[in-house]
This record gives sequence, C-alpha cells and structure tokens, in this order.
Amino acid sequence: MFSGYNTKKRVAERYRIVGFISSGTYGRVYKAEGKNGRIGEFAIKKFKPDKEGEVQYTGISQSAIREMALCTELEHPNVVHTVEIILEEKCIFIVFEYAEHDLLQIIHHHNQPQRQAIPAKTIRSILYQLLQGLVYLHRNWVMHRDLKPANIMVTSSGKVKIGDLGLARLYYKPIHSLFTGDKVVVTIWYRAPELLLGSRHYTPAVDLWAVGCIFAELLSLRPIFKGEEAKMDSKKTVPFQRNQMQKIVEIMGMPSKDRWPLLTAMPEYGQLSSLAAGNSRFQRPQGLEHWYRACLKSNNYPPGPSPDTPGEDGLSLLQQLLEYDPQKRLSAENALQHPYFTTHSKPSENCFEDSKIKYPVRRVSQDDNDIRSGSLPGTKRSGLPDDSLIGRPAKRLKEG
Amino acid sequence: MASSYWDSTQRKFWTFTKQQLNLERKKLEESERNLVSMFPLPDRRLLSIYFYHQLSKMARPLGIRQQALATAQVYIRRFYTKVEIRRTNPALVLATALYLACKMEECPQHIRMILAEARHCWDVDTSFNDISKIGECEFTLISEMNSQLIVHHPYRSLAELQSQFQLIQEENALAWSIINDHYLTDLPLLHSPHQIAITAIVLAVVLKPTQGNLQPVQAAGVANALQTLGNARNGAAQGAQNRVQKLVDWLAESSVDMEAVVECTQELISLYEIWESYTDKTCKDQIAKFVKARGVDK
Repeated sequence: MFSGYNTKKRVAERYRIVGFISSGTYGRVYKAEGKNGRIGEFAIKKFKPDKEGEVQYTGISQSAIREMALCTELEHPNVVHTVEIILEEKCIFIVFEYAEHDLLQIIHHHNQPQRQAIPAKTIRSILYQLLQGLVYLHRNWVMHRDLKPANIMVTSSGKVKIGDLGLARLYYKPIHSLFTGDKVVVTIWYRAPELLLGSRHYTPAVDLWAVGCIFAELLSLRPIFKGEEAKMDSKKTVPFQRNQMQKIVEIMGMPSKDRWPLLTAMPEYGQLSSLAAGNSRFQRPQGLEHWYRACLKSNNYPPGPSPDTPGEDGLSLLQQLLEYDPQKRLSAENALQHPYFTTHSKPSENCFEDSKIKYPVRRVSQDDNDIRSGSLPGTKRSGLPDDSLIGRPAKRLKEG
Repeated sequence: MASSYWDSTQRKFWTFTKQQLNLERKKLEESERNLVSMFPLPDRRLLSIYFYHQLSKMARPLGIRQQALATAQVYIRRFYTKVEIRRTNPALVLATALYLACKMEECPQHIRMILAEARHCWDVDTSFNDISKIGECEFTLISEMNSQLIVHHPYRSLAELQSQFQLIQEENALAWSIINDHYLTDLPLLHSPHQIAITAIVLAVVLKPTQGNLQPVQAAGVANALQTLGNARNGAAQGAQNRVQKLVDWLAESSVDMEAVVECTQELISLYEIWESYTDKTCKDQIAKFVKARGVDK
C-alpha cells in the first residue's frame, strides 16, 4: 500500500554509533562502525530537520538535496566517498567513509605544545591531492564554495579527501546569478576578494583562492587573513566585510585596475577606496613575498632549494593562487602543472610518507551517541563545538 | 558534452536497452496482476502527455522553466519503472517530482506554492491537501531513485552543437521543441542526451521549418524526413538540399550512431501518431478510477 513512506534501510540495523564528532548548521556527525557484516568505520551525517522537534514532513532543504545528489554522483579518490544515503523516520543520514584526521586538526597538532612546522613534503602532498580532487569537481561543473582546513579530510594512510559538499553546487550556465541562490558562501577567512566585493557571477576561481589560503595556513600554522566577520543586520542585507578585506590588503596591497581590469565593476568597489583612506598600512603593505619569507624563516624551513622547503616555487604558486583577479588566478588544472609540483620527484599519494610525526586520532565524544534523539527540542550539545578549535568563525550562513 | 555524463548515475543506472526496460515493467505488472487487470490504463505515451499537461498547469503560474519540467518528467518516468502506477496517486507523484526538480534545477519553489497549484489542477477526488503528503512522497521518490537526482538533458548538447551545424533560429527552435517532446516517450531512459540532441537537430534541418510556420511536428512529416535522410545516406540524394547532404556527411564522418538516430526518430514518429488519438478525459477518468477505488490519496 502506498500510503506512506516505508524505510527500506535502517541506520540502527546497519551501524553501531561509536560517538559524536561535531555539529553545525546542517546537523551533526557521528562516528560509527559497520554492523551485520558491514566492515569498517564510518562517519554518519544526520541532517537536522528544518525545525527542531519536527514531527511532520515539511520538505527537504535545497542544500540537503544538493548535497545528497552530489554525494551520490561524485566518485574520486580525493573526494570523501559516500557509502550510502538512508532516509528514515523523517531524517536523512549520509554515510561517508571515515577519515581519522582533517587539516584543521593537523594544523592544531603542529601548534601544540609548541609550534613545529609541518614537513614541506607533507604540505606538498596535501596540496597535490587537494588540487586533484578539485580538478575533478571543477571538471564536473561542481564548485565547492566552502574549502577550509576543517573540510579537508586526511585518512590514517595519508590520503587527502575533500569533504562537506553542503554548499557545493553545479554551475553550468546558471539561470539565476549564483548570488541569488546563496547570499553568503565560503567561511570568511577563505573568502575570495571578488566575493567580498559583492560579485554576482563568481566562478570556480573562488575555490582556488581558498586553496591559496589553506596553503598559507599549512606553512604558517595560522590563518593568513584572519578577519572578523560583520554580521548581517536585521534587514538581512549582506554587509561589506570591511575587516576581512582589510586583512587581505594589509598583506597583499590594494588591488588595482591595472592588475584586475574588472575591479571597478564590482558592486562594493566604492567601499574599497574608503577603506584605504586614513589607513597608513595600506600605503606600505607587507607584501606576500615578505610574508612568505618571514614565515619560512620563523618556521625553520631550511634555506636554499631542497625537498625540505617549499622554496621559491612555493612562493610563486602561492602568488598565483592568491591572485586578486579571478580570471588570472590559477585554475586547479594549471596549478598541478606548477614547478612546485613538477620540479622534484612526484608528490607522494601518502601525505605522511617520510614523516615521523604521529597525529592524534579524532576526538569522539560519548556524551551524545544516541543518533535517534538528535532532533528533540532543547537538546543541549555538550560535545565539541563546530570546528573544535576556539576562535574559528562560525560556519557560513546558508540560503539567503 | 561535459565529461560528467559518461560517469554519471544517469548513464550507469538509468539508461536501459529496450529489452531491459520491458522486462522491468513486466516484472512490475506481474507483481500487481490484480490491480493491473482491474484498472486498465491508456498507452503510456498518452499518460505521459496528460502528465505533461498537468505539470505545465502547475508550472505556468509559478514561472517554472522548461528544464525543471523536463527533470520532473524524467523523475516520474524513473519512479514508475520501480513502482506500479496503480499503487500511487499520480497527482501527488507529479507535484512532488516538480517540487524536487525545482530544487535540483536551482529554481526552488515553496512547498506550499506547489501544493496550492496542485490542488488547482486536480479534482477533489484525486487531490490531497497537506504539505506533509508532498514531504513524505519526496522521501519515497528520492529513495526509489537512490538519491540519483542529477539529470543530464539534451538542451545542453543542443546549445553546444547549434553553432557547429550553423542552425538558423527556426531550426534551433524546432530542435528544442522536439527535445521537449521526447520526454513523452521512453527515449530519456534509452539514449544519451547527446544522441537525442543530434536526432533533434537532424530532424529540424530536414523538416525545414520556415518563419511563422512552426507548427507542431506531425508523424507524416517526420516519416518523410526519415526517408530523405535514408536517401541522402545511400547517396541517392538527387535533389536533396545541400544542407541535408552536408549534415549527413558530417554524421558519417563523426562517430554518431546512425542506427540510434533512426531508432529515436521512429520512437518520435509513433509518438506523433498516437498523439492524434489523445484526449484529456480518458486519462483523467482512468486515473481517477484507481485512485478513488484504492483511496491512495487518503
């Protein structure tokens, strides 16, 4: 009888929940083990119903639909593998392969107890794998739109996998400008200048800016442009992210019409000149090259060309990723052809190869491993906050 | 074509041979032998025409674009290869498919708007009155389709090929409308979007639309077109226009599967033939019978 939805698969019959990993605007993620012949470890993402404690079907959010569709469609060694999707009792569960680490956690480990640089070979392998995943996404017309260290997973065997397609979407000839769909994309520190300046029709180049920021963060162990997010006002207009733009300009210098011809066409272009007025640091920006050399020095990368330092090639790659003009910025495909990757031996497919560093396993909390009770109203979350490190900006807003 | 089609779930899981498709449907009918014999239904293509009319009625006031409509049609066709239609309320399935397709095609509509339009275009007998019905049916639809929701359409291939063939505006419009029509047949489950687009282009060029003469395509016209094409291929194209000959030459040189083009064309001919016997009422009544009898809307 077709009188209601009948679950064919049940989470509890297939998986044993080991513990709670994290939560965010989308819902929560649990670590699980396979049951009844299913072998291995998994991460199960449970989508929050639109309203907490929802007892009726209200329709699935567009972002969840996008994520389900993309996770089902995509298959690449450098993109987190989706095992299955389970629809049960008004809830959606996406079951992913489990990854023991992520870049945020790795960066965190290198900051404690005292700062110790990530080996140059590790960084090179991470970027190489990350870019291969990104080439695959872009070839399939998928923009990720939320690349940041917390969303880049690393397995215990050193395989890098792009995760969290919650904001990703297809961009082939959109009818509406991308801006109409989602007013705000990309976590603020990794947001490309064209987004900060209000561009309506942005391109996959926004993902490459984020890769540049991640590269810089892997080198320096700190976010390179650590701005403060201006919150949306009550009228839900999108504010100009003045502070974030400032952080970029302080290092990169002011973008210019010569280097970025379409700059003056950006909706928030006017804000830029007001930014410059009266700020002496804009007249004498640090310069990316200076930032890079200081970073290499303070993190004790050896001087001169060697596989143990990102060296001059690293600088050149970083410059081309953190290029103001999105049209001049390297594409993922071209980035892989950069001498940084091609000069020495081919980067390893295992980013931990030759590294003696032992990374801690993912923290899993036992406070909430009841996957069923997740949508009860007023449930206090006692586990790790989203993105587990304090001082991280909140996850982006969805669906303008 | 974007490389993505070749690795797509559409190609891997939702493209069948005719035999496979027939087998699936036979299995489905046999599992519901009683229902099937109790409630005879019109030809699947006639039902598809009716569904299309109903979808358009819902879509028009909301300004929903053609591609979302096409995606909804594909969802409905896929769904009914897995679930016997007589076990469902088509009104609900259609509304839900449209709701879901709009989200996938990046032109989302509020579930309440879809409900309101659905209630407008179906009788009380077959209608439903709660958004939670759509919400629940959405789970069923997604689950039956295994979350494989990305649909590749021939429109994109048409856009890519039109400059190569230097289609004039009328030809392009005609090809576009032939693509619209192919969703009324099983072709979306049988051939790649690329193949469909080429068929539509070939027919558009051979049918020679003239300005102001964009009438609905007729079976006889397409049959003649097929003839012309055959002649050109056999080199017996005395008097066939240059353009057609050029097109045929191009097809011969490229790796296009001409047999498939002929197959698609024949499928379209039979669609246009049966279309002439179409009436709204027959479809409507016969659907209402099983919906009412089984109370599936309740």
